[in-house]
Amino acid sequence: MRLANAYWVQARLGLQAQMQYRVASLFSILGFIIEPVVYLVVWRTIATAQGGAIAGYTADEFVAYYIAWTLVRVTNIGLTPYVWDGRIQQGRINDHLTTPLHLFHRDLASFAGWKPVWIAWWIPLASLLVLVFQPQIRPSLWQILAFFGAVITGFVLRFIVLWVLGLTAFWTTRASALFEIVTTAELLLSGRLVPLELMPPWVQTLANWLPFKWTFQGPIEVVIGKTDAAGTAAMFGYQFLWIAALGVLTAVVWKRAIRRYSAVGS
Amino acid sequence: MPVVSVDSLTKTFRVPVRESGLAASVRSLFNREFRHVEAVKAIDFTIEPGEIVGFLGPNGAGKTTTLKMLTGLLYPTSGSASVLDHDPSLRERELLKRLALIMGNRNNLNWDLPALDSYELQRAIYEIPKDQYASRVESFVELLDLGALIDKPVRNLSLGERMKVEIGGALLHHPEVLFLDEPTLGLDVTMQQRIRTFIKEHSRKTGATVMLTSHYMADIVALCERVIVIHHGRIIYDGALSNLADQFAGYKTITVTAEQLTPSMESYGSVMSVAAQVATVRVARAEVSAVARRMLQDMSVLDISIAEPPIEDVIADVFDSSEPET
Amino acid sequence: MRAMRLLGTHWRIAAMNELQYRANFFVQLLHSGLSLVTGLIAIWLVFQYTPSLGGWSQPELLIVMGIHIIVGAVLRSFIEPNMRRLMDDVELGTFDYVMTKPVDPQILASIRELRVWHLVDFVLGGLVLGYGMIQLSTTTSALDVVAFGATLLAGVLMVYCVWIMITSTAFRVVRSQEVLNLFEGFYQTGRWPVTIYPVWLRGTLTFVIPLAFAITVPAEALSDRLSAATVVLAMSFAVVIVVVSRAVWRMNLKHYSGASA
Repeated sequence: MRLANAYWVQARLGLQAQMQYRVASLFSILGFIIEPVVYLVVWRTIATAQGGAIAGYTADEFVAYYIAWTLVRVTNIGLTPYVWDGRIQQGRINDHLTTPLHLFHRDLASFAGWKPVWIAWWIPLASLLVLVFQPQIRPSLWQILAFFGAVITGFVLRFIVLWVLGLTAFWTTRASALFEIVTTAELLLSGRLVPLELMPPWVQTLANWLPFKWTFQGPIEVVIGKTDAAGTAAMFGYQFLWIAALGVLTAVVWKRAIRRYSAVGS
Repeated sequence: MPVVSVDSLTKTFRVPVRESGLAASVRSLFNREFRHVEAVKAIDFTIEPGEIVGFLGPNGAGKTTTLKMLTGLLYPTSGSASVLDHDPSLRERELLKRLALIMGNRNNLNWDLPALDSYELQRAIYEIPKDQYASRVESFVELLDLGALIDKPVRNLSLGERMKVEIGGALLHHPEVLFLDEPTLGLDVTMQQRIRTFIKEHSRKTGATVMLTSHYMADIVALCERVIVIHHGRIIYDGALSNLADQFAGYKTITVTAEQLTPSMESYGSVMSVAAQVATVRVARAEVSAVARRMLQDMSVLDISIAEPPIEDVIADVFDSSEPET
Repeated sequence: MRAMRLLGTHWRIAAMNELQYRANFFVQLLHSGLSLVTGLIAIWLVFQYTPSLGGWSQPELLIVMGIHIIVGAVLRSFIEPNMRRLMDDVELGTFDYVMTKPVDPQILASIRELRVWHLVDFVLGGLVLGYGMIQLSTTTSALDVVAFGATLLAGVLMVYCVWIMITSTAFRVVRSQEVLNLFEGFYQTGRWPVTIYPVWLRGTLTFVIPLAFAITVPAEALSDRLSAATVVLAMSFAVVIVVVSRAVWRMNLKHYSGASA
């Protein structure tokens, strides 16, 4: 009850703050949407040239894939691990630690809160993409609903990944190297660059054992009809499993991070 | 039942020894050398409910380290601290809800939003009942003169205005213990005064216990009857502010006004200022009455007054005189 | 001449400043290395499924990628840091210091910053470009190389002009980070030849954000598909954009002086 109330207020604050930067967020989203357009054009060109389909994806499915991609990307932005350096060095973490609400909740709520502004911008932009690229795929209502659900759980999962990654800043001031490597791994292993079917089989196997796929390709497959009801259920299963596992990990790492911070100070 | 009690509290930091140069930094990746710095050395004190205690000491004396241990930001190396019967290092929610830490030049409010919105968040986090919240906001608006400020985004406020809304936000939950670390840092004199008055008034009304560090002696004089002086990690004085001079200043000042001053004022003590008819002399405590008597004999004195030295000077003397032990 | 001397001085100071943080070199090396690997993987994936992309062979795409990295190095080491500083200065009011110096403010605002470690990308981009050239089946004449150099310089100049127009205009509405995000998004399109994009995007990338002139056109010069008409177009568009951007800058400068009364 207390937590729900705090979430609600914090999310509203996040929304209000983001509202002040409406135009700025439009700029950011435009920047974000160019990335998948590039992939889309490249792979649609290839699929068309190769007789309509490669690796089981038709030209049209590539188009749908990368348009669905945009909502996933706009939604799954989390707290960049780089902010932790500043939080620790400038001592802002102290204010958070003397507040009787876990910092994770504050961060998550605040990020969740500003999503509506971004999604409000996303709707016209995605409609524009649909008009321009004319995907012929018509998802059913349940696919669309499941997709929205999966996008939200995917956001929570990716948020946890980034958050726990950021905690490494408590141990080293050179954590940015690790972030870079993880970001690259995510790009290749999540389905963000290309659908994983285009990758060599061993990469696909590897991706199945990591959380990244369930924050990108997993939700996308649901809406473009690359998976059935059972596959969708399994996808949610993987998402929740990862959220639970990484949630526990986050709790443990956070405890140790605070213990370490409290021992050394800043 | 004391609100804060500290028992041989000690904090030692392990600081990596860093040499300059690329080779040295590569080497230090594998083999780091450390040196131990004792920031706080076995200090003891207790604070009773409702007290306002000034915590004094030069930079690096261990003030902030102590405050951080009392708020659960740092674990003690040894010894123990208890705040409202809780061990602060456990960082229990029950304790955090009853205390507040305010640091000067820090901002805990959302930069882009009006303070009132951030206050709402405080209300949710600290579970302040709606009606109480409304009346508290109202009273803070009046006492701190926040009327024109709480509707503006925090980033548009001046430093002093920001501190006012910050303090308002930090006290909304009526913390029972309040730790203030340099709350008036960088503020102009009127703003300092305003904040001082507010803290005093608030503590009187809610019975909050306050522990405060400040570089401005005016803050201490206005707020604290009791001071704890810490130097090189040790407490060197704990008692009434008014007795501080007795214990540490080995002198008083005598200001004398005479029809004509004797040319050799130095014979009474070290001369602090001298004008046509008025001179101020610093005299060892033990000799004050003897010197005063001599003055009265030597000159035709119009007025004479004996005073404690200014508190700033006393403090400066304290820190100069007690050298660190190694 | 005076501008060149100023440039030299500022670069020396910036370089000395950054050389103190040698660890950043390794961070940058890792960053550049990872983005190179990602780029190579993308190209490799493409050619797993097709012998040519929109008429461009694998070595030709490597040339595009090499130029893309080199242009990126100019952007990130030099153009972007200066533009970011300009926006921050305007926001904080410290741009007044620039205005009160006896130098053309546009020149001064454009040369103050240099991120030396990003120059790593010059080397990496050069390597990729060189490798693409070796793999190329056609021969490259001296004239091609001259055309390459000229179009590359003109293209980079155009990108700078667009940046300064955006920067000097946009500070009234948005924060510098968002403008950077947007530009970064567009920059990513340059990894592939603009000819593969649909008309509207190709038009944008040619005449609005002229990455086509900075990357694809120089690559055409090296892959033997550059026409004289394109060179003429590039050069005349460069002249137009320089003139326009100068006018926009002056207008915004006037607005700035008016606003900070």
